[in-house]
Amino acid sequence: MRSQSPLFLAVKFILIGIIDAVAVWAGVGLVLQQAYPLFALLVLGTAGLNLAILSRRAYPLRYLLPGLVFLFGMVVYPIGYNIYIAFTNLQTGNLLQKSQVLQLLDNRYIPAPDQQTFTYTAYLDGNDNLLLVLEDVRGDTYVSDGTSTQSLSASGIDVTRDDQGRVVGVEGYQPVTGAALYQILARLEALAIPFDHEFLRLSGLRNFRTYMKQYHYDPETDQLTDLQTDTVYTPVDGRFTAANGAVVEPGFQTWVGTRNFLQIFGSAAIRKDFLRVFLWTIVWAVLSVLLSFSLGLSFALLLNDRTLRLRLLYRTLLIIPYVMPVFISAFVWRGMFNENFGIFNRVLDDLFQTRVPWLTNAMWARASLIFINVWLTFPYMMLISLGALQSIPSQLYEAARVDGAGSWLRFWKITLPLLMISLAPLLIGAFAFAFNNFTLIYLVTAGRPAVLGAATPAGATDILISWTYRISFQGGSGNNFGLAAAISILIFVMIGAISALGFRLSRRLEEVYR
Amino acid sequence: MRKLLALILLVALMGTVAAAQVKITIFADDTRTPLMRELGAQYTADTGVEIEVVEYASTDIRTAYVTATQAGEGPDIVIGAHDWLGEYVTNGLVEPLDLGDRAADFSQAALEAFTSGGTLYGMPYASENIALVYDKDIVPTAPRTWDELLAVCRAVSDPDVPMYGLAFQNQAGNFYQFFPMLSAAGGYIFGYDAEGNLDPCDVGLATDGAVFGASLYQSMLDEGLIPSGVDWDTLNALVAGKNAAMFITGPWLINAIRDAGINYGITQLPAIKGPNGAYNVPKVFMGVQGFMVNSFSPNKTIAMDFLLNYIATTDVMVELMNQGNRSPAYLPALSYAGADALAFSQQAAFGVPMPSIPAMASVWQEGGNALDLINNGTDPATALQQAKDLILAAVGCE
Repeated sequence: MRSQSPLFLAVKFILIGIIDAVAVWAGVGLVLQQAYPLFALLVLGTAGLNLAILSRRAYPLRYLLPGLVFLFGMVVYPIGYNIYIAFTNLQTGNLLQKSQVLQLLDNRYIPAPDQQTFTYTAYLDGNDNLLLVLEDVRGDTYVSDGTSTQSLSASGIDVTRDDQGRVVGVEGYQPVTGAALYQILARLEALAIPFDHEFLRLSGLRNFRTYMKQYHYDPETDQLTDLQTDTVYTPVDGRFTAANGAVVEPGFQTWVGTRNFLQIFGSAAIRKDFLRVFLWTIVWAVLSVLLSFSLGLSFALLLNDRTLRLRLLYRTLLIIPYVMPVFISAFVWRGMFNENFGIFNRVLDDLFQTRVPWLTNAMWARASLIFINVWLTFPYMMLISLGALQSIPSQLYEAARVDGAGSWLRFWKITLPLLMISLAPLLIGAFAFAFNNFTLIYLVTAGRPAVLGAATPAGATDILISWTYRISFQGGSGNNFGLAAAISILIFVMIGAISALGFRLSRRLEEVYR
Repeated sequence: MRKLLALILLVALMGTVAAAQVKITIFADDTRTPLMRELGAQYTADTGVEIEVVEYASTDIRTAYVTATQAGEGPDIVIGAHDWLGEYVTNGLVEPLDLGDRAADFSQAALEAFTSGGTLYGMPYASENIALVYDKDIVPTAPRTWDELLAVCRAVSDPDVPMYGLAFQNQAGNFYQFFPMLSAAGGYIFGYDAEGNLDPCDVGLATDGAVFGASLYQSMLDEGLIPSGVDWDTLNALVAGKNAAMFITGPWLINAIRDAGINYGITQLPAIKGPNGAYNVPKVFMGVQGFMVNSFSPNKTIAMDFLLNYIATTDVMVELMNQGNRSPAYLPALSYAGADALAFSQQAAFGVPMPSIPAMASVWQEGGNALDLINNGTDPATALQQAKDLILAAVGCE
């Protein structure tokens, strides 16, 4: 291997140094947050990176590794996570981890009957040890180190008092007052000091009050006991449930196996609407691709004619729909298709005294959507066709012309078949994209108009993915991520199957012309 | 090399530990952020507690709070609307609040809006609702009954100008704006169970009264008295072009109405004569804004101190209320309320807090679909019955 220049080496080591420094910083943070799986990943990644750069034997790795890292981080991990979610009950009401829920329940206290109120002064010694001096309404004084309480007189602690007999100082301790008190409030808030079968808890800035603990959790038996009623709760489906069916909110995430999938296949309502939505999704994707490809190819053929003047200008103008953000153009089109105020209906009304329900009638809304999508995507088809047209050898056309083939025949027998070899995979990709084009549907019609007799919130223009969104995030009782993940896996399988079919067909095409 | 690593580790650890200065984080939208920063600086000067205000777009803050809190990175305080409460409480993300004797300073209705299952979870600061906003140059005296409103509409409507008697956001799916038409003669969202909590299995969207109101609405569409398919942008265009004599809208549109130079008045919605002959003012949804505290916050005491002593003051509450012409939820601020806010609160007497239970997701969805069907000419009884059936099915009440 060639020797490396000192400058190159210096840059290399500085870069490694920076990367390792960032890794150490991130690693410390992860350990402190007890995120051990991520920490392990970080260590492995950093070690791999160092190995790839420092070791000569691992030289090829330095080209592969960045790609692999991104492949894992942006493709494998999200897919894996999605699959994992599909087998959980992650949804509104079951959002937190079990440990988080236990933390909440463990911190749940209720005011004690005949609740007593104490004023307090906090003291700290040189080693940051806490001492609380508490005084109740009768004037009885107690001291506490945060774990237990005893009366001041029994504690034997030396205190100084003012002339009214109030404690104003403790031997060996400094009172915490003013701004310093705010710095230890979190520490006081976390306390639950046993006091006569009850607990003293901070209540407001100035007081401690007596409370009773509401729940006890036993990790051995995985049971939660309500200490007031002695009701025992056991986890069922991500919720602590009593024998009589009462539950303790909130629920937590848990593994539910194939329940989400069974719900999809077992729901009569989903089965009833599926076929209609699926058919429209296919029609939408096929027509979008076919029409925009036909239009794009037509323009490409025109622009490919070298005798055409101002080709560059036309090409620039035709690309504009592709360059405009879909968020803007979708809204503009929606406005133009508005039934009362849109430009189309205003013109139609003036000329023919008629209005078309562009976005409110099911068939018109579907047609409008396809029209908008064709408008948005034909420049892409035009661009790829223009490129592919260049690669067709002109000898083929000359030979065909000699044989007496007209331009129509030349297009069908030479141009289109040869184009399809390079464009078929792109068309399959465009099909998959249209199949899942949630953005456009959502921005223009949001799946509406509604359908009379629908069993789920499936509108006339809902495609599978927008229907999924409405079922899992806008129906039921809030967000159902588990169900959404399960449906998206099924959609993935469908697109995978359709694409595989498409690729097989296009490969046959390739073999014919090879 | 090993020594160096150890040193780096040590420095990094120290850096993490030294950053343990007490800090309160607030999620606020762009309107509220500047005021919160100002109050935060004051609180820091008084107590040494740092206050960080994280600004979110008003449309993102609701989910941002859920995502952040679930990951253990949530703020101590979030400023939001009461109808988020159902989702937050079900997920265990907000802490019950004890306002103590300060509770008397707040409007009872606003406190109720922030109450779930008998527990208070938020400190309200303002409320908003829709009402009738009319152009005094076209409609000198506001209609008191729906028949009077129809008479005005018939007198001024002319689709060729275009000019409409009445306009509101009735585009497909906007159930919020559609609810008054259903509620006037007796439609409701959810009934109450024996304990006084909302019962998601008692849906009142297909009652005779609801169907009556929806039919009235549909007949107005058919007659061309109100335009259909009005979304937010269209409504603004109608205001700018003075293309409607009356609007049903909320305080959020007032600035645009002023800018258009409309000589406007605000009053309660005209009473609708129901099938039983009684006149009823349509009930509108009330939305209440307030402060909620994170159930995972280690500094709830400081958060409450900040809320009760720095936010719940007349000066601050007046300023919060004036940001967007809202009606105050803090009673001492009431006497400083502007004329517009007072006029809107007239209608608030006929308001119901938007139900905040999670089953509302289905109501927005299916109620919106029912409006869509009714807009497209479906018989209101059929459309509303479908909405009711689908809500019951989605919530699991079959």
